[in-house]
Amino acid sequence: MRTRLFAIAAGLLAVGAGACNFDITNTNQPTLDDLLSNPTRTKLAAAATGVIAGARGGIQALIWRLGSTGREGINLSGNNQPDFVEPYFGPVAAGGSFGGTLWFDRYQHIRSINVYLAALGNAKDAAVDPVQGLSTQEKAGARAVANSLKALALLYVVETRGELGAPVDVDRPLNAAPAPFVSEDSAYGYIVGLLNGAATDLTTAGATAFPFPVPPGLGGFDKPATFLTFNRALAAKANVLRATAKNGCGGTKATCYAAALTALGASFINPGATTPTGFQAGAYFDFSTAQGDATNSLSSPLNEFTFYALQGNETDAQLQTGGAKDQRVLDKIAAATDTQRALLGSIPIPGELKFVMYFSGGQADPGHAIPIIKNEELILLRSEANWFGGSKAQAILDLNQVRTNSGKLPATTVTAVSADSVFVKALMYERRYSLLWEQGARWIDARRFGRLGDIPPAIPGGNVPPYMPVPQSECDARNLKTPPASQDVVTCNPPTS
Amino acid sequence: MVKRISLLALVLLPLVGVAALSAQQRQIAGRVTTGQTSEPVAGVAVTVTGTAFAAVTNADGRYTVSAPTGAATLVFRAIGYKRREVSVPAGQNTADATLEQDVFNLEAVVVTGQATATERRNAAVATTVVTGAELTAVPAPALDRALQGRVPGAYIQQNSGAPGGGTQVQIRGSNTVVGSADPLFVVDGVIVSDASLSTGLFSVTASGNPQSTRNDGEKQDDPVNRLTDLNPNDVESIEILRGAAASSIYGSKGVNGVVIIRTKRGRAGTPRANLTQRVGFSELQRGPGTRAFDTSTAFKQFGDTALVRSYEVNGVLPTYDHLRELAGNKPLGYETQLDVSGGAGNTQYFLSGNIKGDGGIIENTGAQRQTLRANVDQSFSDRLSVSLSSAFNRTTTQRGFTNNDNAGASVTYALAYIPGFVPLKPANGAFPDPGGLSYFGANPLQTTALGTNDEAAVRFTGGLTARFQAVQTARHNLRFVGAGGIDFFNQKDEVFAPRELFFEARQTNPGASTLSNADSRLANWNANAIHSFTPAGGAWKATTALGVQWEDRALGRSRVIARGLLPGQKNINQGSVINVFEENTHERTIALYGHEDWLGAGERLSLSASVRAERSSANGDVKKFYLFPSVTGSYRFPGLVGEGSEVKLRAAYGETGNQPLFGQKFTSLQGGTVIGGNIGTVVGATAGDPIIQPERTREVEGGVDATLLDGRATLEVTLWQRRTSDLLVPVTPAPSSGFSLQFINGGKIKNEGLEIAAGITPIRREHFDWLFRTTFSSLRNRVLELNLPGGATGFRPANAGYGLSYGEFFVQVGQPLTQIIGYDDAGNVISLGQTNPKFRWGFSNVLTYHRTTLAFLWDWQNGGVAQNQTLSLYDCNSLAPDGGTPAGQARTNACLVTGDARPFVQSTSFLKLRNASLSLDLPDAWAAHFGARSMRMSVSGVNLIVITDYWGYDPEVSNYGAQSITRNIDLGPYPPSRQFFFTIQAGF
Repeated sequence: MRTRLFAIAAGLLAVGAGACNFDITNTNQPTLDDLLSNPTRTKLAAAATGVIAGARGGIQALIWRLGSTGREGINLSGNNQPDFVEPYFGPVAAGGSFGGTLWFDRYQHIRSINVYLAALGNAKDAAVDPVQGLSTQEKAGARAVANSLKALALLYVVETRGELGAPVDVDRPLNAAPAPFVSEDSAYGYIVGLLNGAATDLTTAGATAFPFPVPPGLGGFDKPATFLTFNRALAAKANVLRATAKNGCGGTKATCYAAALTALGASFINPGATTPTGFQAGAYFDFSTAQGDATNSLSSPLNEFTFYALQGNETDAQLQTGGAKDQRVLDKIAAATDTQRALLGSIPIPGELKFVMYFSGGQADPGHAIPIIKNEELILLRSEANWFGGSKAQAILDLNQVRTNSGKLPATTVTAVSADSVFVKALMYERRYSLLWEQGARWIDARRFGRLGDIPPAIPGGNVPPYMPVPQSECDARNLKTPPASQDVVTCNPPTS
Repeated sequence: MVKRISLLALVLLPLVGVAALSAQQRQIAGRVTTGQTSEPVAGVAVTVTGTAFAAVTNADGRYTVSAPTGAATLVFRAIGYKRREVSVPAGQNTADATLEQDVFNLEAVVVTGQATATERRNAAVATTVVTGAELTAVPAPALDRALQGRVPGAYIQQNSGAPGGGTQVQIRGSNTVVGSADPLFVVDGVIVSDASLSTGLFSVTASGNPQSTRNDGEKQDDPVNRLTDLNPNDVESIEILRGAAASSIYGSKGVNGVVIIRTKRGRAGTPRANLTQRVGFSELQRGPGTRAFDTSTAFKQFGDTALVRSYEVNGVLPTYDHLRELAGNKPLGYETQLDVSGGAGNTQYFLSGNIKGDGGIIENTGAQRQTLRANVDQSFSDRLSVSLSSAFNRTTTQRGFTNNDNAGASVTYALAYIPGFVPLKPANGAFPDPGGLSYFGANPLQTTALGTNDEAAVRFTGGLTARFQAVQTARHNLRFVGAGGIDFFNQKDEVFAPRELFFEARQTNPGASTLSNADSRLANWNANAIHSFTPAGGAWKATTALGVQWEDRALGRSRVIARGLLPGQKNINQGSVINVFEENTHERTIALYGHEDWLGAGERLSLSASVRAERSSANGDVKKFYLFPSVTGSYRFPGLVGEGSEVKLRAAYGETGNQPLFGQKFTSLQGGTVIGGNIGTVVGATAGDPIIQPERTREVEGGVDATLLDGRATLEVTLWQRRTSDLLVPVTPAPSSGFSLQFINGGKIKNEGLEIAAGITPIRREHFDWLFRTTFSSLRNRVLELNLPGGATGFRPANAGYGLSYGEFFVQVGQPLTQIIGYDDAGNVISLGQTNPKFRWGFSNVLTYHRTTLAFLWDWQNGGVAQNQTLSLYDCNSLAPDGGTPAGQARTNACLVTGDARPFVQSTSFLKLRNASLSLDLPDAWAAHFGARSMRMSVSGVNLIVITDYWGYDPEVSNYGAQSITRNIDLGPYPPSRQFFFTIQAGF
C-alpha cells in the first residue's frame, strides 16, 4: 500500500511539475528592459516622442497653481478646498494636495529622459546596422533634444522652490540613496551646463535630421540648427533666473546677465516684433483631443465653473490712450456668462471673469497650445539682462517694444537714470500681463525681486508664500522632519551640497 | 493536456483491481427517520466506528453497510440533525435510528482539506456553518449581506445603499495593504470570482481617473462585487474557514478566509418542488437634512444679489427638501423562486430558477437578477459517482450617478452644494438650471432623469466532481476525488450623460458615453487520493490525503469613452473625442499538498497536519515553491459538566498567504502617449519588484467549545493571534527618483482577536420555542514593522483621503493598520481613530409559537471611525442644517480656515435591527386546498431601525468598495434604504 501511495504522489507531482508555463509576461505594456537592451530605431523614436510629450506634463497644474499663488486667477471648482484655501490662506504644506505637487511629474519626466539617453547609448551604430542603428550625428541630435528638455524640467522645479534648491543628479538606481539637494544657484548652473552641452551636440548633429518626428509646437525648431535657437532661449531664461537666485552666479549677477545676453543673441528672438503673431512666435506644448493625447483643460467655456480670473487683473491694468484697459487684459480676460461665489472663511470670492487666451475663434479649445517660451518673453528677458548687465537704454527700448505694441499703452516713464526698483516694477508689470496665466510669472518675479508684498493677499489673513514646499514624500525618503503648520510654507529644509 | 490525463490514468489504473471484499464481515441494514415526524431522512452518512466502512441512506431513509462480525457502533450524521450513535451487538443485522434537529449546526461536517472533512465536534479550528434556511429567512441583495451578524470574526459591511449590492467581507481583520482583501469563495469545489469592477462612472464624475487595477482610483465608483450573481436560495450551507490553520490548504489565497458554499442537491424519491413569491418595497432610511435660509442669512452667505432675490416666493426664501425629492421613491421589489428536486435509480437532480428585482429609492435606479441552476448526481456503481453543478446567472443594475465627483455628475455630491431655496423640480416641463448655486451647475433631479449607469453581467459557473471508491475493507479505505470547474462572466457597463445635462452642457465637449467590457475566466481543478486506515480493534483512525490543485485566472477589460456626443445620441461612435483603454491580467498557480488526520483515544483526541507547496506566476520567482504548513489538535471531554454536555479544547497553528497582484513585479513603459499625431512611450510611475513574493501570515488559535444542558446551549470561544510578514508595502521612493510607487515585501503586522458564538434555547415547550444566538467579535491590529526608504515610519496608502485637513489613512509603525490621522485646530497632526470597531455583536432570536415564527436580528457595532466627507462637503459650503449657528460655523471654519480635521472623522458606532420577520405555517389542509404539501406566509423587514450618532447617511459605508484599509470613506454615497416584504412559500 505504501508503494502505491508513493506511486500516486509521484504521479501527481509529475502532473504538477509538467503543467503549463508560469512565466506570464506583461501583456499590457512594453517593458523598460526591452528598450534598454534592444533599442531599435523604431523603439527609440517612440521613446523620443514620449520624451517630448512628457515635457508638457504638469504644465497646466503649474499654471493655475502658481497663478493662484500670484493672484492671477483661482480654481473655484469647489470640492478640493486646498485648491483655493492653501494658496490664499496658507500654509502651503509639504503634505498638502496643493503645495506638495509640481515636483514628481517633472522628475518622472527626467527619469524618462535618462532612460532614453541610456537606450540611445546602447543603440547600434548605423555603420553596423543600417536599418535599426543610428549615426553619430543622429545620436548627438537626439541627445541634445533630450538634454534640453531635461533642463526645462529642472527649470520648472527650481523656479518654484527658490532658495530650497533641488536634487539634480537623479539618474541613480532606485535602491540607492536619493540624490542630494544642491543650492538654487548650483541647480541653475547644472541647467545651464545641460543646455550648453546640448548646444555642442546640436553643432555635431549639423544638418542631419532628428531620428524622430517633431510635433507642431516645436515646428519651427525641427532640425538641429533651428532647435539651437530654442535651446539658447532656454539658456537665456535660465541665466536670467540664476541672476536673481540666492547668491546667483556666486554673487556676481552681471556674469549671469552677460551670459543671458549672449544666449539671447543666438536664440529665436525677434526684437522688432509689433504684431501679436510676432510676439507669440516661439516654442509650444501641443494638445489635442486625439486618443492618447493630452487636452488643454485651462481652456473651458465661459459658463464653466472651474478657473476664474481675479478682478485685480482688471483693476491693476493701466490704460491705453483713450481710456481703454491694457490691450492684453482685453484680449486675455472676458466676463463669465455664469457667475458663482465661493466662501473663503466668511468672505465670498466672486467668480465673474474668465481667461480666454487659450480660446480659438472665440470658443474654448482643448487643443490650444501653451507656450514654453515665446518671443515676447525673450524681449522682456533681454530688457532685464540689459538693465542689470548691459545697456539701460536698450532695456527701456525693449520694455517699450512690448508695452506699446502688445499692451498698446503709452511708453514707460522709466528712464536710464531711474532707480532699479522703478525699472523692476515696470518690468514686472509687463511680464505679468504678457505672460498672464502662462507660467506663474507674477509670483516668481515677486520672489525674484523681493517684492512678494506687492501681491495683495486678496483676503484678510491671507498670505503669499515665498516658495513651494518640498513634497512630504521627498522629506520622508530623506527622513527629514517638517515643522508644525504655523508658517506660510510647511516643509522640510534639505541640506544642500 | 492529453498527455497529463493519460498520466493520471496510469497512476489510477493499478488501484482499481484491489477492491476485493475482505472476509470476516456482515451487512447491517436499517432505516433512519426524524424524531418528531417519523419521516425518512435521505442522505444520512452512516459509518461504522473503528472501521473504514460507510454508506448513505436513500430516499426512504434506508441503508446497508458492511461491518465487522463483532459488536459494532454505527454513527449517523446529516446536516441539520444531531449526530446519533447506535450500538449493534454481534449477530444483529438491523439497526434503525431516529435523528433530532440540530438548531446550532453543531453536528455539521467541516472540511479539513481540499477533499477531506471531519465532524464538527472533532474539529480543531473554529469554523462557522450557516444553513441555507438561515440565509433566506429574510431577503438580502446578495449572499454576503445575508451573513451579517451570523459569523463571529467576520466583518461584513455594506458599501452603500445602492440596489444590487456592493459588500465587503473581512475575516479576522485587515491583513494586507495592497494585496487582495477578499475572502476566497468556493462554490461546489469551483473557485469563483468576487471581483469588483468599475462601471466607468468616473468618466463622467471625473473621480479616480487612472484606469488600472494597479491604481484603485476607479474603485471610487462603488462597484458591485460579483458574489451578487449567486442565488442565495440555491445554497444548502456555507462554511467559513476563518483561521490560517483551516485556510492554509488554500495557500496564498487563504489569508482572508475561505467561504465554502455548497448548493442544494437532489435526493432520490418523489419529486419535490418549492415555490416562493415575494413582493415588497423600499424607502429612504436616513440622510442629511437641509439648512433653511432666511433672506438675511442668504445675503450674508451669497451676497445681496438679484440672483438670491430671484428665488424668493412671496418675499420669503422657501426651503425644499432636496434629499426627499431625489431619493423619496418607494419602489417595488419582487422575487420568484422555483426549485424542483428528485431522483430515481442512480440519478438525482436539483433544478432551480429565480427572478428578482429591486427598485432603487432614486428614480431610474434598480437591480435585477435571473438565475438558473441544474445540479445532477449520477452514480454508476457503489464505487463510482459523478456530481455536476451548473449555474447560469444574469445580473443587471442601474445604479445612477452617486459617490465622489469632480464634475457635477454625482447627485448625492451635488446636493451638498445646493442651498435649500433653489428649486430643482421641473417647472412647465423643464428642469431649472441652478447655475452657480450648485456644483458645476448640476441639477440632481435632471441628472437622475437623463443619465444612466447600467450594468449587465452574464455568468456561468460549472463544476464536475468524480469520486471513486478504490478500496473499502475493514481496515483500509482508499478513494480518489477529482474535481474541476470553470467560472466565467462577462460584465458590460454603459454610462451615459447626455449633453443636455447642465453640468455637461458647460463642458468643452459636452455629452459622454462610456462602454466597458470585462471578461473574467477562472478555471481550477484538483485531484486527490484519500486513504483511511484503522488498525485491528479500531483504536484510532488515520486519514492521509495527497493532491494537486491547478488554478488559472484571466481577466480582460476594455473601455471606450466618447465625449462631445451628437444631440440625442448614445453610441460611442457618435462622439467627437474618443478615449480607449484595455488591460489584461493573467495568473496561474499550481500546488501540491499532503494532509494527515488522526483520530483516536475513543474519538476524543484529534490531531492533524498538512503542508501545501505552491508556485505561481504572480511571484517574482515563478519556479519557487512556497510552503504553507499547519498543525491542529483537539480533545473532547464528554459529560464534563453534566449529562449530555461536552467540552472541547482545541489549538491550531497555520500559515497562509496572499499573492502579489498581477503586474507588481514589472517595471513598464507606458505606451499610448500621443503628441502631434505620433505615439510614444514614457517610463511608468510604478517601479516593479522582480523578486516579489507572497505575504505570509502565521497564526495561532486556541479555543473552547462546549455543548451544555443536553444540547440546549452551546458556546464557542476562540482566541487568535496572527502575524503577517513579507507584507506587500507600497513604498514611495523619493519622488526625485522619477518613481512614485514600488511594491516590495517589507513589513509586519499583527492582528489578534476574540470570537464568541453562543446559542441557547431558553424556552422549549410543546408549542413554544425560543432560540437565541449571539456572535461577538473583537479584534485589534497593529503595524509592527515597515521597511521604508529613508527610515520613514509610515506611509499614505492609495485613496487615503483628501488631505490632513479632512482626515487621511496613514499606515504607521506601532499604530493600528487602519488608522486615520489629521490636523487639530493648531495644525498638529494627531491620530483620529481607526476604522476597525472595538467590537461587533449580533443577537439573533427565533420565537416559535404553534405555527407562528418571529425572527429578528440586532447588530451592534461599537467604536471605529469613518471619514465623513459628505459632512465636510455640507460644512465647507455652510449648508449643513445647523450651518450659520455657532456649532455649524465652527465646522465651516474647520474646513475653510483652521484645517481642523476632527469634525469630519466620526464614530461609526451603531445599533441596527438588521431584519425581522413574522411567518405563519398554514395548516396542511389549507395548503392542500392549493395543491401544496405545505405553505408559509411571512412579512419581513430589512434595516428597520438604526440608532447612531453618525451624521448623514449610514455609518456602514465604503465609497471605495471593498478595501483592506481605505474603507469607511463617506463621500456622497447612494442613500441607505429600509425594505419591507410579503412572502408566500409553498412546497409541493
